[in-house]
Amino acid sequence: MRARAHLTVELDSRGRNVVRELSSASPLTLMPRRGAVRLAAGPTDRAVVHLVNSATAPLGGDELDLRVRVGAGARLLLRGVAATLVLPGHRRGSSRSTVHVEVAEGGTLEYLPEHTVVTARAEHEAEFRAELAEDALLRCREVLVLGRSNERPGLLRTSTHVTRGEVPLVRQTLELGNSRLEASAGYLAGARVVATESVVWKNDPVAPTSGEWWSLTPLAAGGATATALAPDAVTARHRLTEALRTHPDGKELVREHW
Amino acid sequence: MHRGLVTGPGELREFLFGRLRSAGCLAAVFAAAAAHAAGAGADGRHWRRLDSEIDARTPSPAQREASRAQGRGTARAGRVAWPSAALDALLAVSTRPHHPAVIGALTGGARAGTPREAAAVAAYLSISGPASAAVRLLGLDPFAANAAVAALGPDLERITEYAASVAGRDPAALPAVGAPALDLLAQAHQRHHRDEVRLFAS
Repeated sequence: MRARAHLTVELDSRGRNVVRELSSASPLTLMPRRGAVRLAAGPTDRAVVHLVNSATAPLGGDELDLRVRVGAGARLLLRGVAATLVLPGHRRGSSRSTVHVEVAEGGTLEYLPEHTVVTARAEHEAEFRAELAEDALLRCREVLVLGRSNERPGLLRTSTHVTRGEVPLVRQTLELGNSRLEASAGYLAGARVVATESVVWKNDPVAPTSGEWWSLTPLAAGGATATALAPDAVTARHRLTEALRTHPDGKELVREHW
Repeated sequence: MHRGLVTGPGELREFLFGRLRSAGCLAAVFAAAAAHAAGAGADGRHWRRLDSEIDARTPSPAQREASRAQGRGTARAGRVAWPSAALDALLAVSTRPHHPAVIGALTGGARAGTPREAAAVAAYLSISGPASAAVRLLGLDPFAANAAVAALGPDLERITEYAASVAGRDPAALPAVGAPALDLLAQAHQRHHRDEVRLFAS
């Protein structure tokens, strides 16, 4: 299955966030929560769009592509509604999903999908790429679950790239599917769940904070990354929240965390 | 190590395997790219890009700091032993360059070495350092620690080949292998030491 979906959110002349362009393509279905936009109308509102998997995907052979543009001063919360199961297909070959976002001057994007469960024999490649204008804000989360219970994960390669103008802020790739590597304290230390969130918000932490298998670290060129490793998804979420709470904008970041 | 994650030679070998495949691979890739850049007479802009691309791939400040501290030390020695235009160009961009960039500039500069050689050096150093630390901190048998390093020979070879094969890519397109557990352990290590200092101060 090949699918391309687009989403554009802009500020209208009255300062409201409006969805200008929205094209879903099964299984990538975008559901705007219109009520929320209207209710909160005013300069501080935001558009809320849910990303719904309307078919079992990704399966081997699928290519899913989502493009998101947030206009100058606009604000979008794009969130998932359920976990994504990455499954092997009937045909051989890997599946691929890409999410490319552009956030213009003064724009804000919160990309908070639910977790991704990498099932046995899956072969998937995921890429998230964000291009930010100088004063754009972004938070993007990824929670990877290595297989369902008592299941070895298949192959996954997932990359996150965040750039601000010409400057790279984050480039990170994780590969799953090698149990010896995942068990090593030099890679995942046997964790079953890896949660990360990159935050380019109003303030940056001055110093890193860390606790039991979590940390929030300032990045070299601006922004911060929260990282948590855990034996299960509940603990991972808890640890990621702990990390985000220590961010200078932590109150705002954890308010609507999940 | 104070967490008890590594207590014997078997665990050390597994730790080194993960480190080689994650942080070691990243270091090898950028050492190879820097050697390639040195051979091609890269300008300041290119060295600056390599520097910021390593930063973007190193989310842990503790790891960035360690890389720059080692880079500076190696560059100071290297400037005396193997001066080159490439090393000068790198140091003009940053007085505390990342360690892999220094290894690449030294290898590809005065010695006119290959990206492959630079990658091999960086990959080896990524495991030989922790192995000797295990001997000193845990009192492991030095022969057992060296055997753990030697057992990784074929993996080291593969990482080196891989790093050399991507050395000519644009810096933005170089691989970005992450190491979440290493990053967390590095931050925990820093916290541990800070708390210890506080304990002594009180």
